[in-house]
Amino acid sequence: MADEQNPPAAPPPSGPARTWPPVADRALLGKPIRRIDGPDKSQGKAKYTYDIVRPGMLYGRLLSSPHPYAVVKSIDVTPALKVPGVKAAIALKDPAGPTAKIWYQGEEVAAVAATTEEAAEDAVRAIKVEYEILPALATVEQSMSANAPVNFPKGNVSAERLTLRPDKADVEAALKASAHIVEGTYSTQVQTHTSLETHGGICEWNGEKLTAWVSTQAVHATRDGLSRALQMQQSDVHVITDYMGGGFGSKLGPDVQVVIAAKLAKEAGAPVKLMLTRKEEHLITGNRPSAYAKVKAGVDAQGKLTAFDAETWGTGGAGQGAGFNIPYPVYAFGVLRQRHKDVFINAGPQRAMRAPGHPQACFITEVVVDELADRLRMDPLELRMRNLPPAGPDGQDLPTQQWRKYFPMAADKIGWSRRHATADTGSGPIKRGMGCAANRWAGGGSNRTRAACEILPDGGVVMRIGTQDIGTGTRTLVAMITAETMGLPLTAVKAAIGDSEYPWAPGSGGSTTVGSISPTVRIAAENARDALFAKVAPSLRVEPAALVAKDGRVQVKDNPAKGMTWKEACRLLGVQPISADGAWQQGLSSSGTSGVQFADVEVDIETGITRVKRVVCVQDCGMIVDRITAESQVYGGIIMGIGFALFEHRILDRNTAKMVNPNMEFYLLPGMSDIPEIDITLIDQPERGPVGLGEPPTISTAAAIANAIANATGARVRSLPLTPAAVLAALHEERSGGTR
Amino acid sequence: MTHPTLASRHVTPMHCSHLRHKGMYVTGDVTSEPNGFADDIDATSFWCVCTQKAFGPDGLPVTLEDCATGRSCCNHDAAEAT
Repeated sequence: MADEQNPPAAPPPSGPARTWPPVADRALLGKPIRRIDGPDKSQGKAKYTYDIVRPGMLYGRLLSSPHPYAVVKSIDVTPALKVPGVKAAIALKDPAGPTAKIWYQGEEVAAVAATTEEAAEDAVRAIKVEYEILPALATVEQSMSANAPVNFPKGNVSAERLTLRPDKADVEAALKASAHIVEGTYSTQVQTHTSLETHGGICEWNGEKLTAWVSTQAVHATRDGLSRALQMQQSDVHVITDYMGGGFGSKLGPDVQVVIAAKLAKEAGAPVKLMLTRKEEHLITGNRPSAYAKVKAGVDAQGKLTAFDAETWGTGGAGQGAGFNIPYPVYAFGVLRQRHKDVFINAGPQRAMRAPGHPQACFITEVVVDELADRLRMDPLELRMRNLPPAGPDGQDLPTQQWRKYFPMAADKIGWSRRHATADTGSGPIKRGMGCAANRWAGGGSNRTRAACEILPDGGVVMRIGTQDIGTGTRTLVAMITAETMGLPLTAVKAAIGDSEYPWAPGSGGSTTVGSISPTVRIAAENARDALFAKVAPSLRVEPAALVAKDGRVQVKDNPAKGMTWKEACRLLGVQPISADGAWQQGLSSSGTSGVQFADVEVDIETGITRVKRVVCVQDCGMIVDRITAESQVYGGIIMGIGFALFEHRILDRNTAKMVNPNMEFYLLPGMSDIPEIDITLIDQPERGPVGLGEPPTISTAAAIANAIANATGARVRSLPLTPAAVLAALHEERSGGTR
Repeated sequence: MTHPTLASRHVTPMHCSHLRHKGMYVTGDVTSEPNGFADDIDATSFWCVCTQKAFGPDGLPVTLEDCATGRSCCNHDAAEAT
């Protein structure tokens, strides 16, 4: 059944088939259009949740547990209430109840609201908490150890999950028959969420009704979450997200801190703003789980991949899984087996992070493929080309599997023919190398998406849709599609988004936004425009179907001189605007993307420092709506991939399980000087309609960089991040007998 | 028994109506990629809509296996769920 969070899927269309305008007729779609909110953002006029100040607003702060594993024996918040300016203080753990246990550092123990941030911080320090500190598990090795304390209800390690393809495949026999085998252990680190804007919101009560300004990727999910957590009617909750500073999968609801803000606001009788600190952000807002894989893979003498056998594990922190599928499904291994276990430790639980599971799986698989090519003494690009999925019956690759075309394009751009066959044997400590990797993603839209369009008598157009712009340019896309449909300039359209009282749209995640909103906005705009045509047609003495909207006019298709300006047409409405709804329909968007990335790196073999000189990317995303925002997605994805490859790493003290780098000083992200030349070739597939692009470009960057480092140095680093220490260790191992 | 399971490939009527994961709000075909990309060992994280955390009202982890009939805080009240 359907409910508010899951409205019913759109019924089959009953009217004419919906289409996008022919490419030659497009005034805006597919063009490089600057963001309509760019000036407001660059001038500080755009108000993010962090910027919002409500009259009489208080500042909320959390008291977070300093201990990763403990039991709260007592909490006394009364000293906090004596701090001048403090208006509310609440305990969030019940020492006598089932929630007394602390599972990870940073867990919320109590919260306060005060007239100033300083008073709130003083009040947090005044709260008295007694903990019984328990021995915490800091690493997967500790948790998997036979003599480890059992800290989790069903044990520290989950039951094994198995994938075997094809069914009853004899993986060991296939490996035995292989001409060459690669065997090794590969790993990727925990990457914490580090959105520019931290998690949080402002909650304001008006009687029993709640308005919440929240930094969220999903206004409707946040309404659902607040209403359930606070036991309210959804209709009494109003969520607003005008602008937000990134989420990457970690902001798909109100989260605990916004619920706490609402409780504090109720207690204090005033609006409360509670935004997490950067330290809390690292500790409690989720992360990309670690991944470990003991792999044995084979190839025959002709370069045909034969078998992939993996024992995998990883940690999603306290109580959450760490799944990922290998081999990454680009290359056709003959048979495959994966046996996976989740390992639990006393650290913040994982959450979705940009392409969950994919970068880890891509890294492991693409490095293994490179190593198999080394065994064969074959160009790794050639090995990849030989093992792509077979073409369809018509001899063509599927539109979602275009790697056979993209690999040579990218190779040509980066100058693959100049790549060293093995390591850079040139003189001096700086070694140069190239590597490559592929990606894939789904990115289709939701058939539950709705929009509402208004054409006003003064010529104004408003498109309302309950999506949100998480920094990707969604507001601009809504305006572009509406303006294109109405034949108007972009400035004539108001894109109204980021409000739970607008028609339902899915959370912005999984690269599904563009595939959800584009068809829906197009249809709502067409419905409104066609209603205007019906009003205008009699005065022009033509049928409505004879009219088009173009260049700011409503005119007869075959006789453009016969018509009127858009404003003149809208004046015919009198005092009553046109209101038209739109529901997503199939055929205006697609699912499935493919892409490749090549990296060109320099490695200083004396310091181990890697500098990425250039990344070349060939990526498709169906029909490009706005070339600038699409390219921005790729830039962002690659930069995030560089962070995953070289820098980002949650480090826990092995004795205490406390994070030693919960800040922006020692948790490293790429800075301006770390960002290479990024060469993007976006493949437009106008016949497919839009497909999401947020995730795919971040998937293959780390793998391409790792393979480039091996090509530069002759030493293989099988673990992320590719730090100077890791590179030097691999070089040392290579000199001592080999990493290959 | 009716609660919001329509868009979830994980949550069934046996599960608690308060169980949540990303795919319930991001209803596009995140994983049903054409041409059979199987996602058997997936990366889904779960949370409780009541606590807004990965731990339930009973203080224990929220998981697909555990948040089903039999857990003390498990809820199957259709009226509350919808």
